Amino acid sequence: MAAPLLEPARPATLRLAFSPDLASARAVSIAIRTFLAEQGVAEKELFSYELCISEASNNAVEYAEGYARNLKPVAEALFTPSQIELRVTDHTAGFVLPEKITAPSPLTDRGRGLFLIQSVMDEVRYLRGTKENILVMRKKRRVVPTPAAGEQDPFNPPSIEKYQQHLSESSAQMARMADELQLRSETLSSIFRCCAELGRIDNASESFEKRLLVDLLHLTSADWYVLRMLSPDGRKLPVAAASEPDLGSGVIELPAAGGTPGGIEASVAASLTATRFDIRESSDPSEPLRAVGPEGAGLVCPLCFGGTLVGTIAVGRRNGDFPLGRLQDEVIRTFAEFLAIQTLNIRRQKDEVRNLVIARELEIAQTIQHLLLPRTLPQLSGFSVAGGWQSAREVGGDFYDAIALDDQSLLLMIADVMGKGVPAALFATTMRGLLLGLAARSSDPSQLLSGLNRLLYKELSSVSMFITAQIVHVDLKTRKLTAASAGHCPLHFVQPGRRSISTMQIKGLPLGVLPDTDYPHMTALMGTPAAVLLYTDGLTDRRNPAGKVYGQTRLKTWLRLNAIPGRSATEVRDRLATELNRFRGDADMSDDQAFLILVEEGAGAMQKAPPSKRRIRLRRGSFLFPSTA
Amino acid sequence: MKIESQGECLSISEIHELTAQNSAHFRDEVQAALKGSPAVIEINLSKTRFMDSSGLGALFALYRATAQSPGVILRLLNPMPEIQQLLELTQMQQLFEIVRR
Repeated sequence: MAAPLLEPARPATLRLAFSPDLASARAVSIAIRTFLAEQGVAEKELFSYELCISEASNNAVEYAEGYARNLKPVAEALFTPSQIELRVTDHTAGFVLPEKITAPSPLTDRGRGLFLIQSVMDEVRYLRGTKENILVMRKKRRVVPTPAAGEQDPFNPPSIEKYQQHLSESSAQMARMADELQLRSETLSSIFRCCAELGRIDNASESFEKRLLVDLLHLTSADWYVLRMLSPDGRKLPVAAASEPDLGSGVIELPAAGGTPGGIEASVAASLTATRFDIRESSDPSEPLRAVGPEGAGLVCPLCFGGTLVGTIAVGRRNGDFPLGRLQDEVIRTFAEFLAIQTLNIRRQKDEVRNLVIARELEIAQTIQHLLLPRTLPQLSGFSVAGGWQSAREVGGDFYDAIALDDQSLLLMIADVMGKGVPAALFATTMRGLLLGLAARSSDPSQLLSGLNRLLYKELSSVSMFITAQIVHVDLKTRKLTAASAGHCPLHFVQPGRRSISTMQIKGLPLGVLPDTDYPHMTALMGTPAAVLLYTDGLTDRRNPAGKVYGQTRLKTWLRLNAIPGRSATEVRDRLATELNRFRGDADMSDDQAFLILVEEGAGAMQKAPPSKRRIRLRRGSFLFPSTA
Repeated sequence: MKIESQGECLSISEIHELTAQNSAHFRDEVQAALKGSPAVIEINLSKTRFMDSSGLGALFALYRATAQSPGVILRLLNPMPEIQQLLELTQMQQLFEIVRR
């Protein structure tokens, strides 16, 4: 039978100080090789260790400068059967050891020493101090219990029984290796299966996690699992999946930074370190993992990749006397890492999809906005109409229209859909279409608003949106204005014989508030020359950098001074747009704004600019004007 | 270390190790022998038990010294497995013809 393997409590150590010359460095390398050979290190390994000590010692000699040339470098070897550590202490100025040195070109004369050390050893660190530096080189060794065959006594050959025993031990070892190989290949195939599944399904995450965890139980012969996923705010660890329903209750609250985590899973989440546990060793009565039974034991792994915690997974057996083995531990850790990577990948994909959706929504919104504003506004004899629109976003819910009923009358309409973005714009287009249809049958503003409310109520109330609107019928022959309002801001106009601007404030509920609503109307006569201004509240609510609102008074004063005989609606509109932008300065826009203006140009009107053929161009923060026709 | 010149062939053998300690000596000796303009240079590594990066540097110096004379064959004879591995790890086997006989 093979002798039991005994691991020394402390490594066997050789420590040699040597004179800083190459001959001594060489002697030290040979001495360390001899020491390691005495510990039973095989010939083919010895070359590597001799090489590393040799490279490090030569560097310690060759790069020592000034007074350091009098100091003795030290070479050490620490041997245990599972690891060999070599150290060389030098007194040079030191160097920066790169994480990974790439193979130097064969056509260069330098840089091979450290490359060779890193190639040969598992771990190389260079600890720099003020007076000395230490190069630490470690190599893990595979501990293979040497069967007695290697230590045969030639005068006393082993008996047949011993050979048989050796044979059965070898086959047991082969069986263990076969098991390991099978477990690894099953792990891999399970991972591949889940990857394939990931590619096929949309709502990948949940289904894929469950599938993976069932495989995991099977592979590790574990009895239970609890998967916890970190909440979006990073404060809680609710159960995402568990092998049995009674394990799946309870949310673990994670402590704020610096707090003490309660329970094993919370500790693992805080430390990002996998932890084995046996519930019999826990003194915490509120430990959530007690749910697995009084004798449960297992492994809790963080689901973590690149320092980002996604959740935790606990896997184990109900009977802690049969704990998971090293191999099972390794499989669980592999799965935990895989699950973390996949979860992060899925999240990243979802984010990408969301960004695509937002970009597409904006694209749609811009198309809608093109359709929303009238390309042309009617221009009747002696009167002109012009409108301006500006949005706080790429698409707004403010819009206006003017519909010529005949050559002596027209309807002016302005509206503000409460809400912004695509839904608001969609309601705006719908409403504009409905109004055109209704106007063919009635030109009475009260009836038009009631009709619009009836048609839009159901849709608006189902999404808790409403629209304020104002419709003005203008009879150019009688110079009569008839207006109705659905919760909209007042109308400003010039009355006969008045120098100041008059205001018409009409009561009425916004569209979409009640299913059947009557809208009262008001009438007034227009002065000469006529000027009528419809607007949305974004215009009077506009703030300057000092935070002051533009307000109705300022607007009315401006209108009195600017809607003067001879100016076309286009000109007045341009002046108003300039005025509003001047007032706003570099303050942010908080709301959409639109206005519609009708003026009487009268005799001696300035020559109208030819109608623009330009398409409406959307630009944030600047007014949009449809052309006049 | 033994250096022999037979016709156009320069043979270097009996190298027990090639290290920081003796590589300068190796370099100088071989450099001197190159004056005979050999067409083939054979370095017999069959007895070379150990070599470090300075030893590799000495071989590289030889490669560089002969690079100006096209057609010169640089041959390493029978390196031990550990030395062969070292040459491969540093890709220096590309610079020499490695021959077993």
